[in-house]
Amino acid sequence: MTGEANVKAPIKTRHERSFGARLRRLIDAGLGFLVLCALVALIEAIVRVFAVPSYVFPAPSEIVKALYSGFAESIFSRSAYYMHITTTAIEALASFVIGSSLGVVVGALIIQFSLLRRIVLPYFIGLQSVPKVALAPLFVVWFGLGISSKIVLGVLLTFFPLMINTAAGLASVERERLELMQSLKASGWKTFRLVKLPSALPFIFAGLEMAAAYAVLGAVVGEFVGGTSGLGVLILNRNAVLDVAGSLAALIILAVMGIGLQRAVVAARVRVLFWAPSQDILVD
Amino acid sequence: MSKRGSLDPIIMVRDLTKTYRSKREGLVNALDPVSFTVEEGEFVCLVGPSGCGKSTLLKILAGIVERTSGDFGIRHRGHAATDCHIGLVFQSPVLLPWRTVLHNTLLPAEVLALDRGAAEQRARELIALVGLAGFENSYPSELSGGMQQRCAITRALLHDPPILLMDEPFGALDAMTRDSMNVELLRIWAESRKTVFLITHSISEAVFLADRVLVMSQRPGRIIDEIRPELSRPRDFDSMTTPAFGEAVRRIRRKLGMDGRSKSYDG
Repeated sequence: MTGEANVKAPIKTRHERSFGARLRRLIDAGLGFLVLCALVALIEAIVRVFAVPSYVFPAPSEIVKALYSGFAESIFSRSAYYMHITTTAIEALASFVIGSSLGVVVGALIIQFSLLRRIVLPYFIGLQSVPKVALAPLFVVWFGLGISSKIVLGVLLTFFPLMINTAAGLASVERERLELMQSLKASGWKTFRLVKLPSALPFIFAGLEMAAAYAVLGAVVGEFVGGTSGLGVLILNRNAVLDVAGSLAALIILAVMGIGLQRAVVAARVRVLFWAPSQDILVD
Repeated sequence: MSKRGSLDPIIMVRDLTKTYRSKREGLVNALDPVSFTVEEGEFVCLVGPSGCGKSTLLKILAGIVERTSGDFGIRHRGHAATDCHIGLVFQSPVLLPWRTVLHNTLLPAEVLALDRGAAEQRARELIALVGLAGFENSYPSELSGGMQQRCAITRALLHDPPILLMDEPFGALDAMTRDSMNVELLRIWAESRKTVFLITHSISEAVFLADRVLVMSQRPGRIIDEIRPELSRPRDFDSMTTPAFGEAVRRIRRKLGMDGRSKSYDG
């Protein structure tokens, strides 16, 4: 029914890659893993040889131990990771979904209605340069120690890249595409749905990739400022008792979470934007 | 040389002008008063140097640009299925890269809310007519420039408009592809029985294609001559070597001040 319904699998799928190309990717991945292992072994050796105290920098094996014990505990235990991971994941995902949706909608409204653009856009652009994490303490006062204050901060952080990118994408649609729709006497809505929005998708996906990082950032900063659970809280608690290994273990989980969200966006982009030139430096 | 519809012109342009404001040059006169008519079924080419306002004229006819003064009318019979009486082809194909050939062709059906089944059947016929059969499910990025422009033509014809407006449709193609596309266009024109108004800066292309060539001056554009090349139809590459062809080309060149001394013409 819509143009999007016609979007099918990428022209060149992973399965169509030649055997040689796949083998090369496998070798690359293996070499990368070996480099990582070598680096970890080197740190382990340095920490042991120079007897670095674990409250300054723990050996990688200590971090792995901390990770293990965090996951080995009962699911409902407060020192287990499960509850913290769930809290932070909910905060980050909710921020990402709500903030991105709002950003796309507001960005589209701003472009579609020039009055709105003239009146509101200067403020939005001004607000964009305000360091929004500085508002975190206020949000804790206004929305409490629960997840809502973190989600508000995350929404604020993810909103701007999507708003600006959506607006930029819609404003830079090839003029001839619009003239084509004009010659067909298309309504504003049909032009938006059939031409402008799909043309803006590469910009929107670039915004989503930024938002994926901001969503996790918002959750952690919010938890630092005041919270009862979450990986940010866990890092503060571990730090308070000089358990650096525990802090780093939580950080690793956060990194995995952030990378996971970002790669999910990339995977969605590869599927949806099969027609656009790839900007992914990881995919050659 | 269609003899149909000699009653009323299908396109009527009277004293059309266009003035626009440019940041560098202030008020710019793009079109001096321009008047002409196009008969139903006729193939008319408008030839002129680049920047003479011929694209502006076409955009006014297509309803993309507002006229400054004057008048134009497009006659349409009552039985037209839609409000859109023109099909437009640009210099670049302007295909939507996320749509296949079939769905690019069907774009007007979605915009004009035509019956989907009938539109799809017509789309497939048009795709076959322009020689793209078998590429219905290909994406534009998988097609050559010439094939993309063929798809732009199927899209312009989908809603069965009586008039096809073309703005240097093969200007972006290499010379060899361009020649064969012109022969194809004449065939499509003969089969689809449309009125074609085509803009070009190639004099030989205009003479080869047209029943009637309108010659436009440098900006502000005015129509300074009108020529009916004495070439029989159907035309093919041999038509380009006839004396009549050479005579028509020579006459237009002289009109545009290109007698071998002037360097003002960059087409």
